[in-house]
Amino acid sequence: MTNFTREWHSGPALRLTLLGALISTVLVVWSTLSGVGAISPAQQSSDPEANLPFLFAVFIITWAAFFVYVFYVSRRQREMQREIEALKRALEERDRQASEQD
Amino acid sequence: MTQLAATPDSVPASGRGFARDGLLVASALLMALTLYLVYFWAPTEQNLGVSQRIFYFHVPLGWIGMVSIIIVAIASLMHLFTGRQRWDDLAYSTAELGVIYASLILVTGAIWGKPVWGVWWTWDPKLTTTLVLWFIYVAYLMIRAYGPMGSQGRRFASVIALFGAIDAPIIYMASIWWRTAHPALNIGPAADEAESIGDSRIYITLLVSVIAFTVMYVTLLAERYALRKSESDLDELHQRMA
Repeated sequence: MTNFTREWHSGPALRLTLLGALISTVLVVWSTLSGVGAISPAQQSSDPEANLPFLFAVFIITWAAFFVYVFYVSRRQREMQREIEALKRALEERDRQASEQD
Repeated sequence: MTQLAATPDSVPASGRGFARDGLLVASALLMALTLYLVYFWAPTEQNLGVSQRIFYFHVPLGWIGMVSIIIVAIASLMHLFTGRQRWDDLAYSTAELGVIYASLILVTGAIWGKPVWGVWWTWDPKLTTTLVLWFIYVAYLMIRAYGPMGSQGRRFASVIALFGAIDAPIIYMASIWWRTAHPALNIGPAADEAESIGDSRIYITLLVSVIAFTVMYVTLLAERYALRKSESDLDELHQRMA
């Protein structure tokens, strides 16, 4: 298994970095296509509600990041429990075989 | 079997403490209160409009992002002195959370910058030093992922964290030391009296928001630390099995 693959499966650093880059890219593309980025500072002074999409974007991105992280932590907990169970079974099997040989 | 005896108890899912559940409930309640205050109670700022409400997310994220690197540095220092695994577990967990908060500071700052400054990004001292903080967090995690395994890798990462902590006060003081487009300091020991928040509702909302995000941070850190501790135990078990 390469370092990249091992890190992708076991550690969050790479996934988080790539996720951050992906979210930023999506945000920029979405903002450009929807025209949000076209709002100038001059426009916003005349219409205070014009910047609502920016507030919405901050809210969504902040909470999405936290939910993704909590999802990652809970999934990792489940994976570890499975791994511990497998280790327990392997050790029990090894002990049983050792006692049979004795 | 004695090798495994202690391990299942350290798995977070099977041994959630009352304190961690309490933190989770407190965090949810405080966050609900914060959202109410931000969207229904705090007044809309005259010049910036509704985009000013980004402030209630951006400032707490910035505060925690800076505090995180200091916690990473202190835990790393303790690990270097004592060699105890639990300090390294704390440093790693904090760095992982820190990179999330630092990423959110940059993203929310860029989104706020666009309507206010007209650009997503500018090489302002405050923004640039915050970007440096993000790189420090990523460097720390990359060293842990790709650097030498075992105690050597942990020591390398600890040294990065110690150097990285120097960036926190630089970020905080950037708007005082250099000419910057970033708003003046509103909170902390160096807050500018002249630039203080006028409306008490804005100040109270910001205060509640900072507390709510800090409690949520502690909750996430407790969860991640427990998981990291279990990961370390599991690694140790694998080594014993081999």
